[in-house]
Amino acid sequence: MKINKNTDCDILVIGAGLAGYIAAARAADLGLKTIQAGNSSALFLASGLFDLLGVFPIDSGKIVTHPYSAIKQLQSDQIYHPYSKTTPDQIKKGFQFLASFLDSAELKYSRPGANNKQILTSLGTFKPTYMVPETFSKGCSLDEKNLLIVDFKGLRGFSARQAASGLGRKKGKIHTLTIDLPENNGSLNPVHLARSFENQEFIQRLADKLSMFSGKADIVGLPGICGIHNSLEIVKSLEKRINMDVFEIPGMPPSIPGLRLKNTFEKKLSDLNVSFLSNAKIVFHAMEKDHFILQAVNDNFETRIKARGVILASGRFPGGGLFARRGIILETVFDLPVFQPETREMWHQLNFFDAKGHQINQAGLETDNRFRPLDKTGKPAFENLYAAGSIIAHNDWTRLKSGTGVSCVSAYTAVNSFYKKNV
Amino acid sequence: MHKTMETDVLVIGGGVTGTGIARDLSLRGVQCILIDKSDLNAGASGGNHGLLHSGARYVGSDPEAAVECKNELGILKNNAGHCIEDTGGLFIAVKGDDEKYIADFPGMCEKSGVYCKKIDPALARDMEPVLSKDIIAAYQVNDASINPFKISIENMNDAVLRGSQFLSFCKLIEFKMINHSIEYAGIINENNGETFQIKARTYVNASGAWAGMIAAMAGITINMVLSKGTLLVTSKRMTKRVINRLRKPTDGDIIVPGGVVSIIGTTSIRVDSPDHIYPTINEVDQIIDEGGRIIPDLKTCRYIRAYSGARPLVSEGKIGDDRSVSRGFTLRDHKMDGADNFITITGGKLSTYRLMSEKASDLVCWKHSIFSKCLTKEIPLPSTKSGEWSEPGMMATEPGMSKNFNDPILCECEMVPQSAIDTIVSSIKQAGGKPNLTSLALRSRIGKGPCQGAFCSLRIFSHLYDSNVLKDHSDITNLKGFLNERWKGEKSLLWGQALAQSSLKEMIHSGLFGLELIENKN
Repeated sequence: MKINKNTDCDILVIGAGLAGYIAAARAADLGLKTIQAGNSSALFLASGLFDLLGVFPIDSGKIVTHPYSAIKQLQSDQIYHPYSKTTPDQIKKGFQFLASFLDSAELKYSRPGANNKQILTSLGTFKPTYMVPETFSKGCSLDEKNLLIVDFKGLRGFSARQAASGLGRKKGKIHTLTIDLPENNGSLNPVHLARSFENQEFIQRLADKLSMFSGKADIVGLPGICGIHNSLEIVKSLEKRINMDVFEIPGMPPSIPGLRLKNTFEKKLSDLNVSFLSNAKIVFHAMEKDHFILQAVNDNFETRIKARGVILASGRFPGGGLFARRGIILETVFDLPVFQPETREMWHQLNFFDAKGHQINQAGLETDNRFRPLDKTGKPAFENLYAAGSIIAHNDWTRLKSGTGVSCVSAYTAVNSFYKKNV
Repeated sequence: MHKTMETDVLVIGGGVTGTGIARDLSLRGVQCILIDKSDLNAGASGGNHGLLHSGARYVGSDPEAAVECKNELGILKNNAGHCIEDTGGLFIAVKGDDEKYIADFPGMCEKSGVYCKKIDPALARDMEPVLSKDIIAAYQVNDASINPFKISIENMNDAVLRGSQFLSFCKLIEFKMINHSIEYAGIINENNGETFQIKARTYVNASGAWAGMIAAMAGITINMVLSKGTLLVTSKRMTKRVINRLRKPTDGDIIVPGGVVSIIGTTSIRVDSPDHIYPTINEVDQIIDEGGRIIPDLKTCRYIRAYSGARPLVSEGKIGDDRSVSRGFTLRDHKMDGADNFITITGGKLSTYRLMSEKASDLVCWKHSIFSKCLTKEIPLPSTKSGEWSEPGMMATEPGMSKNFNDPILCECEMVPQSAIDTIVSSIKQAGGKPNLTSLALRSRIGKGPCQGAFCSLRIFSHLYDSNVLKDHSDITNLKGFLNERWKGEKSLLWGQALAQSSLKEMIHSGLFGLELIENKN
């Protein structure tokens, strides 16, 4: 038997990626009664880095150092891009809100400044990004320092040698070390390994191993697995014991920094009385006067939700916000019109790494300047329906390195404008 | 001064025929060097159904080929059983199919001596529940499925064991001709750019679809007709048996099980060059629509990837459907063309590769005045460790799997452990090849599951750095190359779940790692 419930709220957020969490955070912050529904494992895939605009123009492959001036250029070149519906000031405010929200929940990020950072990845590439977790930040300036990179036997997809290979022209010395833990029986589960870091004894054992590099290295790079909770304290405690700087290196999923984000949002949002319907499929029924009537369904419950406003942050194809049949792309909750290439032939380029990106990544919802999705006639489909994050069209965030920026500004702006209009 | 290698026979082309010749000659005590400009099975040998024909498909169009298929099937089942799954096959006709062809089929089979047994359509659906309700006729035949990668690896491994050599990524750049004979072959090693020479008594052109280009280097014209065939891989195995559409051979009418997947195809499109061919969206749609007539689930199931091969057919000057150009093979002694020590073997099909190798080897021996008997009919093809991981669905529970628990699984879709990667790496090194993702992918199932390399590529790549197989950051272009090779087979099949998966791959490899920003080597 499924449990049937009725509930109502000011705002329903559909989606539990970064855009959904930011929308829920802003709504709760403004005192709105908020429900969030979504698949809670999405952030396991997020690197934990917050991008704003890392590459522009898209096919130039040019790395952006000053993102706000590049955004001004983008606004005049690409009038349909979500950034062109807002202002640099608004984008920055969104990031400031995000940083202080996470800060209040004890997850420290670097401040939203004027410049991008370049961060070393596990592949040995350098990624342009905007804000990084404090535990990552010392990895953004390695040039002169003598460096030690550490990997763990059995932790798949992270090789110290590989990360170091990207530092060819660095001035300081580079050392690598592989640690074979007694708890390794074939492969190390990154979540278990991260939990081990929360144990003082483990940190001391690790410190003992690292101290043989004392004098040889100034700074130590570890995979991004230094604890799930209190990672900054853990890193600081390790630094103190070995008397060297320590930083984390971002790598492939499953991502512990993404898990930290998820945990932090969940905890803080639940403190702020946001209710969460996990892994529920959302079905839109009808409008009842000015209210959306929707249903959240999963194996255990069916909840009828009456909401004044909806933030659609359901993502693109991996998130399930968009779904592609053999010839057409559909929006899955409201069946909104989806901007898309004319034929399937045009969806993808022949080269996976084509500098222009794939046209299908331009697909999504067209919105007005308040991020309200448009209907076929070009008017907002619903007075109080907003889109946030990657579901918005004209936004190839993987190439532009702009995922968090778009999510943040759209979620922040959408909730603000709902609030302004309705409260 | 260039380095010069000497050998009895230089075989050009590392497909099933070339590796088959290398083994055949090695068994007769003739030493070979086999070169390939890419790697094993990089051409049509790696781009086919993996179908071992019983002959029934050819009884109408090419009875001679039907008989060859029938005979070879018996030999290979006995001698290379570990590369074959004896699935049996069905020929199925549905409403609207040509009734005359259906009526003539058993008689044509009988004429070629090819086994076929009429069965009740209801029984056919009992045997293979996914078959359409619209079946009007069904015949049971002896088709089987064969792993062409394994066949080539095992043939080459055995040849190497017997003193021959395999050089991957070594491309022929010239034949030095003196007095109607090839003096030496000029070769470039594409891995390091070095050039060298190979001096052989006889040069064998077994380069499949590239045979025309290779022959042209000796000033000889072969009129090749290249016909692109595209195939799709389903994410699950659809049937126990090989399913053929009972009609005159055309597009989208064969479904072959291969381990845990099924392969459906094919198309036939004339192409000018065997290089850079890839499946198009039109072909994919056509195959799905046609295949859906006999197995309706093919219209809704998930596909893993598509791939294309170029059938090397030798034109006999007729114009028409490429399927009517003989699928029989061509063996030519170029003595009559002015190159005494040069032969070409091309055309043919996977099912008759052994016979082709035998005939080519016979000709080589005859030219060398060696009187020897072909032994590949009698001596079974040995099974080696490095061949095992090319098997679809080779799982952790099967023999050959490392019993060592301290052995992380690097490719989770296909359950390939680190120890398997290490084994294949050392076999590539022994053969003088360059171990990297691309060469590993040709010898194992890595990247061939639903994630299409999104995760395993990174895990295996970092393991290669970790174990010092790769050292330079510039090798990162190999990761790009590997993912792009996967991409060629994915892009025409991206909708539904597969599209979500490929988006995720782009999020990781472009969004996080920025691989598109890295300059490609050369």
